[in-house]
Amino acid sequence: MHEYSVVSELVALLLPRVGGIDGRVVSVHLRKGELRILSDASLVAAFEIVTSGTPLEGATLEIETVTTSVRCGACGYAGLAKHLEDESFHFAIPILACPRCGAEVEVTSGRELSIESVRVASLDPDESQDASGEEGGCRSSGAA
Amino acid sequence: MHDIRFTAEDILGAQLALAEENYRLLKEKGVHAISVMGAIGSGKTSLIERIIDRAKPCGIVVATIAADSAGDDDHRRFLARGAHSVNLNTEDDCHLDAHRISHTLESLPLHEIDVLFVENVGNLICPADFPLGTDVEMIVISVTEGDDMVRKHPKIFAQTDLIVINKIDLASAVGVDPQTLVRDYAKVNPHGRAILTDARHNRGIDELLRALGIECTNTQW
Repeated sequence: MHEYSVVSELVALLLPRVGGIDGRVVSVHLRKGELRILSDASLVAAFEIVTSGTPLEGATLEIETVTTSVRCGACGYAGLAKHLEDESFHFAIPILACPRCGAEVEVTSGRELSIESVRVASLDPDESQDASGEEGGCRSSGAA
Repeated sequence: MHDIRFTAEDILGAQLALAEENYRLLKEKGVHAISVMGAIGSGKTSLIERIIDRAKPCGIVVATIAADSAGDDDHRRFLARGAHSVNLNTEDDCHLDAHRISHTLESLPLHEIDVLFVENVGNLICPADFPLGTDVEMIVISVTEGDDMVRKHPKIFAQTDLIVINKIDLASAVGVDPQTLVRDYAKVNPHGRAILTDARHNRGIDELLRALGIECTNTQW
């Protein structure tokens, strides 16, 4: 159920950033760590509802799942976490212990929940857009 | 068509920052804080009551934040035991968050408190994504929920410091082997610790206190 509150935060962050652009947002690329307990289907459904009537209406939410990585203070391992492949759990579960020596680890990725980018379609198909200089920390990657 | 890229700004970054602020404030005031999660009826409130009873003769001051979507049943139970308590109704929200906790901390006499229990709403999915700023996160399971509880919620168990398997006096009556839960938890969380309790009859409480880092030096305890 908390997907709605998460999407509300996402949209609140996005709206001031896309308000001034000359174009229509067609998709939003979200990076979601696999340790997050958020349903992709519910995030997409919530996005459709929360963006209704806003400049983001009609945009699609694309979700990229980020695999868990860990760093071990005991043996120095840094890399992907081991996953439990036990049929009774149905899904691969990331294990927060060192895959090499078994010690406790620090999670270096897998808890992300960040907007990677938005894709914008020009309102005038002949006009090439450059969004560099957008306020709020955005930078343009140029025409896609 | 073009892409606008964003710096990696976490959507829940504001909540994380507030959780860190809560943690710093609690450390500064010398408060050991424990987040308690678990389904409705698992025995979260009863376990905290037993701990309040054990801690009081030792001079350990316990406070609680009693969160429920509605009502103040748990809050009144804690007050009746002589604990500081704040009732926190989340209304339609399925989880506590660091923002609510930061405001609630303002109404507790933190300088007098040794241990704070934050009892979350009875939900094992949503609270996982909202750190509160506590030292320890624990989940209470009742054997009456079945021996498949860990298999049904593996991600939250994989990230939780310890679990309490409560109502073990009822295990045979409901045909549940608590060791199945212990084994499943060990699979998803090799560093987690599982404690077996029967809160109603005061069994396993001392071991739980030690696991939570609540030390009583009073020999009368």
